[in-house]
Amino acid sequence: MRNKLDRKMDAILRREEAGVRRKTIQNRTLRKLASNQLSVLGIVIFAVILVLCVGAPLFTPYDGISMSLAERYAPPSAEHWLGCDQIGRDIWTRILFGGRISIGVGLGSALIATILGVSLGTIAGFKGGLFDGIVMKVSEVMMAFPQMILVLIMVTITGPSLWNLIFIFAVTGWPSMYRMTRSQMLSLREEEYVQALNAFGISPMIIAFKHVLPNAIGPIFVNITLSTAMFILQETALSFMNLGVPLDQATWGNILNVAQDISVLKDYWWMWLPAGIMVTLFVLSINFIGDGLRDATDPTQIG
Amino acid sequence: MGTYISRKVLSLIPLTLAISFLIYLGMELMPGDAVSFLLPPDALASLSPEQLEQMREALGLNAPFLVRYFRWLGGILRGDFGYSLQSGVPVSEILMNHLPATLELSIASLLMSSVLGIVLGMISALRKGTLLDHTLDVVGMIGVAIPQFLLGLILVLLLCLNTNVFPVGGRMAYANQPLLERLNYLFLPALVNGFSMTAGVMRYARSSMLDSMGRDYMKTARAKGLPEWRVNFLHGLRAAITPVVVLIGFRLPMLIGGAVVIETVFQWPGVGELFIKAIRAQNTPVVMMIAFFSVLIVLMSSILVDIVTAWLDPRIKLS
Repeated sequence: MRNKLDRKMDAILRREEAGVRRKTIQNRTLRKLASNQLSVLGIVIFAVILVLCVGAPLFTPYDGISMSLAERYAPPSAEHWLGCDQIGRDIWTRILFGGRISIGVGLGSALIATILGVSLGTIAGFKGGLFDGIVMKVSEVMMAFPQMILVLIMVTITGPSLWNLIFIFAVTGWPSMYRMTRSQMLSLREEEYVQALNAFGISPMIIAFKHVLPNAIGPIFVNITLSTAMFILQETALSFMNLGVPLDQATWGNILNVAQDISVLKDYWWMWLPAGIMVTLFVLSINFIGDGLRDATDPTQIG
Repeated sequence: MGTYISRKVLSLIPLTLAISFLIYLGMELMPGDAVSFLLPPDALASLSPEQLEQMREALGLNAPFLVRYFRWLGGILRGDFGYSLQSGVPVSEILMNHLPATLELSIASLLMSSVLGIVLGMISALRKGTLLDHTLDVVGMIGVAIPQFLLGLILVLLLCLNTNVFPVGGRMAYANQPLLERLNYLFLPALVNGFSMTAGVMRYARSSMLDSMGRDYMKTARAKGLPEWRVNFLHGLRAAITPVVVLIGFRLPMLIGGAVVIETVFQWPGVGELFIKAIRAQNTPVVMMIAFFSVLIVLMSSILVDIVTAWLDPRIKLS
């Protein structure tokens, strides 16, 4: 074992001396991420789907809104790669444009929830005291609800709409982010460099946000990926039950909505299966990236 | 142990009170006035504003918010959960009718996902690096990524519509069949509801088992000459299972949330389906009582997880 490692190091040294060693990525986290095959695959799938959706008009001649009654329930063909839906809209187009909304809802609410949770967690964790006590109690109350139930109650109060959904996901999503940041802060604030900065008389909030928070960035990024995946899945589930984004706007969940009809489910697979595969692939890619990030930012793992 | 549990239960009381207040606040915020729900539209139209005002007074709707809240809370403590705005039936009665179906589904999916997840995770760990291990890994990753209702739909299509292995939906063929004869109705919804949890438990059990396999007590057990299955199951699994139980406890709220969606897909006549219907009809008392009960279940289960972990792992002391 020992010899094997030695030989490996020797080989690397020799190549380095000969000047043939490939230039590697300097950042340790990125290097570890790039050497993880699954997360590279995840990044590729993620990027491809993102480009397809953001640049949707480049990849389809249709607009996804105008109906063509002659082509209702049309199966996949050369003109319509994934066929048409019950009112003759091109499915491929709807999946691309729907992806814009679904990804936007997922990423957007995850980012808002993160900003909210991380700022609260940083302040509360670093300062402690009454503020920490209050925010902690609020997060306890919110986390006592099963997330789906809380989301559904709030949908009932605010009514279903795109912006309400983002708001609701952000409001129900921040507590886990807050808990995580807070616990990171609690351990990081005992470090010696924090005491040194304190001794210099630097304001505590600057220490917290500028000097301590960057050290907790790994788990925060992992949490963003997890929340994005969860919110995208919840959007599809809510839209499937007609409680998400209103049906006139294409989202992955709204495309899947037609599968409630047993005859559609049975005879017109192209109307729902491709959208389902797209959601699953996208969430899968996010999970791969998240797993890779977790390993890459974990200092106990070598690489 | 006893003092620990009673202290824990007592500490939940303020939390529960805060949540009940929030839930009442939510009921007040929801659109619609209770009077307009209680009367058919034509009767409502024939009433003068004064008569409406009288009705509000008689129903106690004009009292200050806090008074109304405490009146509502007192009712709950006496077992009076209010009345459904759709049918006028007491909410407690409606819950009683729907609860057995949901309990059946939840317990089945909980059992299925924990047993299946632990067993598959263990097999994966013992057969590390084989084709079986990789296959299970891929299935697990897809299981976490696929929307559960979509998995449900695909299984319904394959196993119910194309081949008649299982019935399409519902809970029983006719009233009051014994549980054993209804298993074919229960199997698919329970599998789908527990699927992502199975995948999660499996991945966790695998790494936990791998971790415990290299430990000294496993070597000791082997050195004593115990047969391999005893070493793996009795010594390895027991140590590996504690973190898995904690995970199962954490996932329980997701199982409850998932049941809402799955019951809708399979037309399972439980609380989840009732919840969605009540939300569509803005039937506030029903919505809020179900939410309240789901919170109570989550809080109770967190205590239960503590107790089970202490029982499984002698190193943990409850204090």
